Amino acid sequence: MARELRGVEIVDTYAEAFDMRVSRVIITAATEGWARTAAVSMTGFATSVIGCKVEAGIEAMLPASDTPDGRPGASVLVFAFNAEGLGSRLVERVGQTVLTCATTACFDGLPDVSERVQVGGVLRHFGDKLQSSKFLDGRRYWRVPVMEGEFLVEESFGTQPAIGGGNLLILARDQSAALTAAEAAVAAMRQVRGIILPFPGGIVRAGSKVGAKRYKSMTASTNEAYCPTVRGRVGIASELPATVNSVLEIVIDGVDRAAMEEAMRVGLDAACRPDVVQITAGNYGGKLGTHLFRLHDLL
Amino acid sequence: MITLTLKELPSVPLEAEVLSPDVTAGLSNDAIRALPVYLGKRQRRIDDFFDVDGSSSDQITIQGDAARVKWIGRAMTRGHIRITGNTGMHLGAYMSGGTIEVSGNGADWVGAEMSGGLIRIDGNAGGQIGAAYRGSSTGMRDGTILIGGSAGLEVGMRMKRGVIAIGGPVRDFAGLQMKGGTIILASGAELRTGAWMMRGTIISLRPLPLMPTFAYAATYLPDVLRIYAAYLRGLGFTLPFDQQQGAYQRYTGDTSVPGKGEILIWNPRGA
Amino acid sequence: MLRITGGKVYDPANGVDGVIQDICIDQGRIVASAEGGRTIDARGMLVFPGGVDVHTHVAGGALNFARGLVPENQRAARKFLHGKDRRAGLGGMTPTTFATGYLYAGMGWTTVNEAAVPVLTAKHTHEELHDTPIVDKSCLLLMANNEMVLDLLEAGEIERARHVVAWLIWAAKVYGVKAVNPGGVAAWKWGKNASALHETFEGYQSLTPAKIIAGLAQIVDELQLPHPLHLHCNNLGVPGNVATTVETMQVLEGRRAHLAHLQFHAYGGDGWSNMHSEAAAVADAFNRHTNLTCDAGAVLFGDAVTITADGPWQHLLYQLTGRKWGNLDVENETGCGIVPYVYKDRSLVNAVQWAVGLELMLLITDPWRVFLTTDHPNGGCFWRYPEIVQLLMDVEFRKEQVRRLPEAAQQRIVLGDLDRQYSLFEIAIITSAGPARALGLSNKGHLGIGADADIAIYPEQPDPDGFLFSYPRYVLKDGEIVVEEGEVIGGSEGREFIVRPQFDAGIEAYIRPLFQQIYTISFDNYPVALERLRHPEQVTLPSKPA
Repeated sequence: MARELRGVEIVDTYAEAFDMRVSRVIITAATEGWARTAAVSMTGFATSVIGCKVEAGIEAMLPASDTPDGRPGASVLVFAFNAEGLGSRLVERVGQTVLTCATTACFDGLPDVSERVQVGGVLRHFGDKLQSSKFLDGRRYWRVPVMEGEFLVEESFGTQPAIGGGNLLILARDQSAALTAAEAAVAAMRQVRGIILPFPGGIVRAGSKVGAKRYKSMTASTNEAYCPTVRGRVGIASELPATVNSVLEIVIDGVDRAAMEEAMRVGLDAACRPDVVQITAGNYGGKLGTHLFRLHDLL
Repeated sequence: MITLTLKELPSVPLEAEVLSPDVTAGLSNDAIRALPVYLGKRQRRIDDFFDVDGSSSDQITIQGDAARVKWIGRAMTRGHIRITGNTGMHLGAYMSGGTIEVSGNGADWVGAEMSGGLIRIDGNAGGQIGAAYRGSSTGMRDGTILIGGSAGLEVGMRMKRGVIAIGGPVRDFAGLQMKGGTIILASGAELRTGAWMMRGTIISLRPLPLMPTFAYAATYLPDVLRIYAAYLRGLGFTLPFDQQQGAYQRYTGDTSVPGKGEILIWNPRGA
Repeated sequence: MLRITGGKVYDPANGVDGVIQDICIDQGRIVASAEGGRTIDARGMLVFPGGVDVHTHVAGGALNFARGLVPENQRAARKFLHGKDRRAGLGGMTPTTFATGYLYAGMGWTTVNEAAVPVLTAKHTHEELHDTPIVDKSCLLLMANNEMVLDLLEAGEIERARHVVAWLIWAAKVYGVKAVNPGGVAAWKWGKNASALHETFEGYQSLTPAKIIAGLAQIVDELQLPHPLHLHCNNLGVPGNVATTVETMQVLEGRRAHLAHLQFHAYGGDGWSNMHSEAAAVADAFNRHTNLTCDAGAVLFGDAVTITADGPWQHLLYQLTGRKWGNLDVENETGCGIVPYVYKDRSLVNAVQWAVGLELMLLITDPWRVFLTTDHPNGGCFWRYPEIVQLLMDVEFRKEQVRRLPEAAQQRIVLGDLDRQYSLFEIAIITSAGPARALGLSNKGHLGIGADADIAIYPEQPDPDGFLFSYPRYVLKDGEIVVEEGEVIGGSEGREFIVRPQFDAGIEAYIRPLFQQIYTISFDNYPVALERLRHPEQVTLPSKPA
């Protein structure tokens, strides 16, 4: 049965999300600006594990009082399918974008979890045996000599189970209305801790379906059921109400169910604006993902 | 809480390793009173020297001038010892957990070969703090020692990990043959600091005479010191790291080994 | 007066193999019968002559230097608290003097031969031996690098050398002659060694290790000393040293000799990577050379402290371990090297060493010629001898230990193929009767009439967590019970066996000016006055030189 929120139909369906693993990386720097620069660089080209191997984003900017070394910082979440892959991706990204960025230091944001991957433990080799380590209060830090001075990076980072692929589909009368609603949803969701929105600006303009119908071997292709311009063509079973002319998707990765639900709840609420016809979510009949989020439970 | 009040000053040092939370945690008051201590070579009872209140606790308070009472807290793994006066040698030697707090002065060998826990002495202490006993390859393996006052020779000798912070002046051979860990000399030290150092960090907040086998590297603010500053702040110890206040001069050594240790000497702005 | 009744007696020197018979003791000796006095009920127990350690390092300058080098061992050592009849001491790998006596006696050993004494520090050795309670003692004088003797041997003056050696033996108040790495320790004063038996070495022009060995063996035989030349061969510990050992046996043909800690001299290969056991070859050569005795010098896994006059070898060992090393020079006479060491069962080299000691004891056919030692504390501590006894007596247990070694180690040894098991009779030979005979102590090592009443009484079944021999029920020394149920309960100071070989009194005129020229001490302070030995017992030598 359909329900409504401020005139927007909320479809009685669920988003289907997947098991993933997450690590949290705390980047600090001399100023908030440099912390953000490093974080943006680190989380670039990380929209989907399909083509980018990881999904990453800035979880929050951190005031100096909230970081291990008392400097301004950014908290970054990185998601991948398994711990080993995650470890390798962290080494690549921290090594290429944080180690290389002026004034940064890099700390583990999940210090209490038992499963760990080596990050500083690998990056230390950049020091060519000139590096040194300090062990304090149960944590080991590597100091890599660099031209600027020293790069401080924690040896190991915790990884824990997480959820990837939570989503909302915003169906609007036109492109402008869809975008305004999606931007409002993203602004609200960004206040929630424990999630990231990996796509550009938090929004997916080209949502996909698994595989392809007309090409032999593709991992993903355009989600034709929600594409307005192919409605009515032979062989197309459109899901779009007649008044919908543009759809935008928001994809969410979260550290746990609670964070995911909170994010989807505030996002759904913020998206219910004029000229938005319907809010729905993508799933695979429950056949692929283990985490289901019913939209009606979020109301 | 078990309270021991010294009632009889021992004529020679008393070997009192039984004064440990691990020992007292499960003992009745009578059993604690009967614990053996050695006065020289003669075996005596705890209650020959202490009034004993309480039982079955890993919280111990020791009152009176215990400057001749040795080995308090030896090999303890838990609990808390509070000493309101002075204490004797080998305080907390071999300990691996728990805390010891001393309001008065300590003596030599505080925290020798310890591997965990916290020792805090408000007054002065002797030499060989957190050190290896003679012949042993390694001293302190972890833990934290804070001395408010001065300390003697061979502080942190052969230590491998952990933190030692000394508020007052320190004598010769601080960090001798150091293998790791961190020593903070808030009031500097005398001669041969870091002799034979292999690894580890010695931080001095006052100028320090250095051996010729230490090489100057740079003047900077190591980010890692902020981590130490945060840790020590929680224990009431201040470590400067602010660019506005100054920077550290880094010296590497001891090149005679050759060692990969560092000595960081605080250089206040305007000095 | 005392009787031991109902025990199973093992007295190989008198052919007694586990016969239940009484032993009677009066005034410190074994007698035919004794009325009155105490009776020890030894039913269900084994009665052995007290153990005789023919090669150990327990007293003197080297030992004390070692004790000082390893204070951490002293802290971890077994503590002996003083008592009414007992002095304080520390056990461990370099036991202090009193503890040494208690540890030996506590195991049933009653005679101990300190194997390496420099003349210069003999006073110190005697002081420490005096403080080694209960056991009787003898000691051997280091001669094979003594420059006065070497110079005479090089000059071919064997007779004068004999007088000098004899004079030195009496000056030091010792029992016999020890040779360690002949020429090698003298060369070490130049930083060199003497690795080739028939080649000269640093500091000399024509003298070779072989000539030193032959010369000293001849001198010892001519002086008719009770114990033959006691020889620590050249190239100890070196892979491939089997060749040197066999060659040394050839040099010694026609002479008596005792080869010390033979295990360290039975290796094949040419480097650490292919070092393997050549115990079979050494045992074979040894079996054919019936003029020789030896002691095993077996290795046990665990901590040890190597203490030897073989300075160059110890420097090499230090470089292998990279840890502590002590080196002493004894002017004009010898040297000493100390290196703490751990024998690990995961180490291929150590596994071979462990096997070789046992292989020698199993492949040498005559138990009267091979004695149980670990060259304490070099191969292992003497108070672990019971572990070796178990390995010799229990073939299944031994093979199980072999199977636990790394596979690569098992390829380098033959121990897994050896099925021989020692009987108690044979154990009594290698721990007591044999070494007593080799030392020429006719009242030791047996339980016949007239023997010193040094007796060890063990339970027939060892304690479940112990080895046979580690816990005697009673130990008697000179007829007095000194250990009862594992407790030391008394005991004398023990005696020291010495000899006074014949020498021409005029030899002192040769020695004195030479001594004054090359030594840093005054000649009159050099000899040990007899009064410094509290309980000397001079063993009479035949009246005329051979």
